[in-house]
Amino acid sequence: MVSKRFLTTALTGFAAASLLAACGDSASEEEVVEVTSEETGEPDAISQRQALLEEMGDAFTVIREQLEGDGDIEAMTAAAATINANAAQFIDYFPEGTSMSSGADTEALDTIWEDPEGFAAAHQRLLDESQKMVNAVATGDLGQIGEQVMPLGMSCGNCHDTFRYDDEA
Amino acid sequence: MSDDKGADSRPGQVRIWDLPVRICHWGFVLLLPVLWWTAENSEMRWHMRAGGLLLALVLFRILWGFVGSSTARFASFVRGPLAVIAYLRTIGKTGGKSVGHNPAGGWSVVILLLLLAAQAFSGLFAGDPFDGATGPLNEGLGIKFSSQMTDWHELAFNLILGFVALHLAAIVTYRVFLRDRLIAPMITGKRERGSLVGEMAPVPAWRALVCAVLAGGLALWAYYGAPGL
Repeated sequence: MVSKRFLTTALTGFAAASLLAACGDSASEEEVVEVTSEETGEPDAISQRQALLEEMGDAFTVIREQLEGDGDIEAMTAAAATINANAAQFIDYFPEGTSMSSGADTEALDTIWEDPEGFAAAHQRLLDESQKMVNAVATGDLGQIGEQVMPLGMSCGNCHDTFRYDDEA
Repeated sequence: MSDDKGADSRPGQVRIWDLPVRICHWGFVLLLPVLWWTAENSEMRWHMRAGGLLLALVLFRILWGFVGSSTARFASFVRGPLAVIAYLRTIGKTGGKSVGHNPAGGWSVVILLLLLAAQAFSGLFAGDPFDGATGPLNEGLGIKFSSQMTDWHELAFNLILGFVALHLAAIVTYRVFLRDRLIAPMITGKRERGSLVGEMAPVPAWRALVCAVLAGGLALWAYYGAPGL
């Protein structure tokens, strides 16, 4: 009887604790995770680069959705411009000590700092492909835009494969 | 398994939950935190394994809701809105005890099961091939569909949290105001007879085996990308 009651209490506690933990996190999930640098107290580089990259991902989704549907050139122009602008910016937010192994909430791997040339080359590939997407959208030709989706997507994935923690199945 | 009728029932106790119902219930309790944690920490391989398991468990529970023991069956506990209102209105007088799900709790089961099913199902299609992990059925269905599924996967999780909170609040309410312990019976399968009438009518264990094979097979098939489709 005693052990049963203990088990009951333990299970309730576990359920409640896991729920609380989950709630606590989902509240902050909406915003970009706020981690301020301990030394400077400035807005964290991790949050900044994540916000920029997130925006690029959303913009790329817009382009692909438009190609499946309305083909709204105006929406695609804005999206391509966002990708191109953010691509040039996010690279500035990778200071030393902001990798995943620092314990911060990031998927940035140490390879970014171990192989700066490789990282720079992967970034250049993104810049080239995103510029080509801007050019393709400027033609207004859905065929050309469609053809640029794969190369641009691959330039994202290329970097993710090597420099981001990606536990894919 | 489910046909060991009163094997170790003490006098004054009544069986209310069969073993498959309890396994499903506690399986959900264990899997939800695992699924949340693995998603938060980018352990997508484990997230998808746990998701496959959740899918199997949900499918099993749905099948069991048609062929399982009396208290497991949807037909025995899904009641109309008037029954729910009548139950809740008189709960202070009657104490609200029942063999199996009461009219209000029945809807909690239906909603939570539907949400878990939606969660597991949307996860199969979620993700972006250029941006991290993708569900096993993500490919070839278009970005509109998969980004819709990704959105629903996030939405359903928040709804699940909300209904789990409601579920826990109900358990506390029954414990504090109605002096009714609901957790122990979900572990042991039995509760005090008290003034309760009737008991769970069990079904042969082989039915659970058939359901497990069907649900497990379907979930595995989806997990491996629905080969042959």
